[in-house]
Amino acid sequence: MSLPESRYLAQRLLTYEAVAGKNSETTESAAFRVCAKLRRPLITLAGVAGFRSLLSRALTLARAEAPGLSAVQIAADGSLQGLDEMEPQIGKDQAREGGAILIAQLIGLLLTFIGEGLTLSMVQTVWPEAAFDGRVFEKERKA
Amino acid sequence: MSAADKVRINKLPTGVPGLDEILGGGLPEFSFNIIAGAPGSGKTTLAHQILFANATPERPALYFTILGEPAIKMLRYQQQYTFFDQAKLNNAVRFINLSQVVLEKDLDAVLQEITKEVEKASPGIVVVDSFRTVVRKALGRTTEVELQSFIQRLALLLTSWQATTFLVGEYVEGEIRDNPVFTVSDGLLWLYQAPERNSIVRKLQIVKLRGQASVPGLHTFRITSAGLQAFSRTLGLAGQARKIPSTRRLSIGIPELDKMLGGGIPEGDSILVAGASGTGKSVLATQFIAEGIRQGDPGIVVVFEERPQEYAERAGSFGLDLKTPRNEKKLEILYLRPLDLSVDETMHEILDAVQKIGAKRLVIDSLAGFEMALAPGFRADFRESLYRMITALTGVGVTILSTVEVNESFTEFPFSTYSISFLTDDIIRLRYVCIDGQLRKIMVVIKMRGGNHSKDIREYEITSKGVVIVGDRLTDYQGLITGIPVRLNRSGNNEKQLT
Repeated sequence: MSLPESRYLAQRLLTYEAVAGKNSETTESAAFRVCAKLRRPLITLAGVAGFRSLLSRALTLARAEAPGLSAVQIAADGSLQGLDEMEPQIGKDQAREGGAILIAQLIGLLLTFIGEGLTLSMVQTVWPEAAFDGRVFEKERKA
Repeated sequence: MSAADKVRINKLPTGVPGLDEILGGGLPEFSFNIIAGAPGSGKTTLAHQILFANATPERPALYFTILGEPAIKMLRYQQQYTFFDQAKLNNAVRFINLSQVVLEKDLDAVLQEITKEVEKASPGIVVVDSFRTVVRKALGRTTEVELQSFIQRLALLLTSWQATTFLVGEYVEGEIRDNPVFTVSDGLLWLYQAPERNSIVRKLQIVKLRGQASVPGLHTFRITSAGLQAFSRTLGLAGQARKIPSTRRLSIGIPELDKMLGGGIPEGDSILVAGASGTGKSVLATQFIAEGIRQGDPGIVVVFEERPQEYAERAGSFGLDLKTPRNEKKLEILYLRPLDLSVDETMHEILDAVQKIGAKRLVIDSLAGFEMALAPGFRADFRESLYRMITALTGVGVTILSTVEVNESFTEFPFSTYSISFLTDDIIRLRYVCIDGQLRKIMVVIKMRGGNHSKDIREYEITSKGVVIVGDRLTDYQGLITGIPVRLNRSGNNEKQLT
């Protein structure tokens, strides 16, 4: 089970990208877009192999909660494959939930390894226009 | 060429306490350096410390990681240090992984990738960790000339872009001769760690540094939650102006002894009080420090065998109030019993205390305790370091009284078992003597470098007022310093003393 904090942050990123997706011509899911955006700084930091390792672990953990993710694969360059093809097979809601769990697991791993400060700093770099700071977790902690 | 015509090399702070002084003021700006050492010696931590000390959003620091410690793990561990400023990450400090380029491509591609990032960010600091991996990978498929050309082009690029560079690598000393990277580099910082009995001794050496004079030799360092802290062999006192010798005489707090010393201890002298256990060395030292406080000289007492509270209370039993000056920060009692500290680290603690309160008098009670408090591996350096500290402190006018325990012998009269008499300007010897069926105490001033002194052998007692000299010089005995004197029969016959 992913941490409430990582779920909360994942949900906020997905919501942000869902809105951004509606305004663009792309058809990828919000989860795919979040993952693709996180991929860039993480490859810069950890290399392709490092990013693939993290995402593989996140996918394995997410599959335990969302078996529908079994069709999702990670390409050699660290990009996700099969995430958007999932929807016709398992339904829109389950596909969205599976994507959210995968992103939450990936963020959860970052929180575990490099901590809240550096994770949020990275998120802030990727989504500079969004207001993500330490306070994003405050509400969840209090809850 | 006048000094004004010469190019001025700016010096960057390392962020490592003590290291700037060892480097001769800091890191030369735009230099191309190597941080070398075995695994676990602190290379990455040192590189990070330098990085965070200098990186700004305008002149960021680029940290290229290559097939060494995974970057995620490195961040996980390094953020535990207090110097790691998370706010600088991605802004002033940027980590870039080059593992794939190194693995899949050639040296030209590595250089191209570094060039791209450097031109994009215009960094002030560049770190490549581990550079040795780049070289190792390249060696399999490039000639030595190609490798040298790559290193030279890299150095040229980074210097031209006004970056101060650090190549981090796990090198062994034998590699210095044949490795082109050492030839090209401007600076070479080597970190060592070695077990010595039950302690770990960490040392660093500035093997090479172009353009400025660093402090030669091996310097101990420690890694704590604040990162590295270095302790210069010169104890941070190199180049410190020596005070013009004073003509002032300091009272030791025992009027008769002051007279024996020709009016007191010359200010800025190092005086040794040697004697067997129980002869009153510590009491005499306490009187010296208390008299200083009374005359307005702040003081430091370094003790090894009792806690500061106990020391102050014992002084109270001799009517010497050390509690008030302690509260008023005119006196500091340092209890040093670390057992695993290096001698230079311990000396630094004393020097910090001296500087903090502007001490004029320092008591080291005792030298034997001092030596015992050090990690076994550092005891060999004890006399050398003590000599440096005493020379430096007395040079700036601090008067030092050290006590040393000597084995009481009834056939010899040794000044000190530690052969440290050369450290001292003045020596007072206390000893037991058998007189009239009693074990009594005598003192004599053995040596005073600053001038004449009394040759008298005087009896003293330890009373509720401390050490008190009783009576005039002992003229009725011969062989007092043997401890078994013979009473002189004024009629001409000597009479063996019965004890």
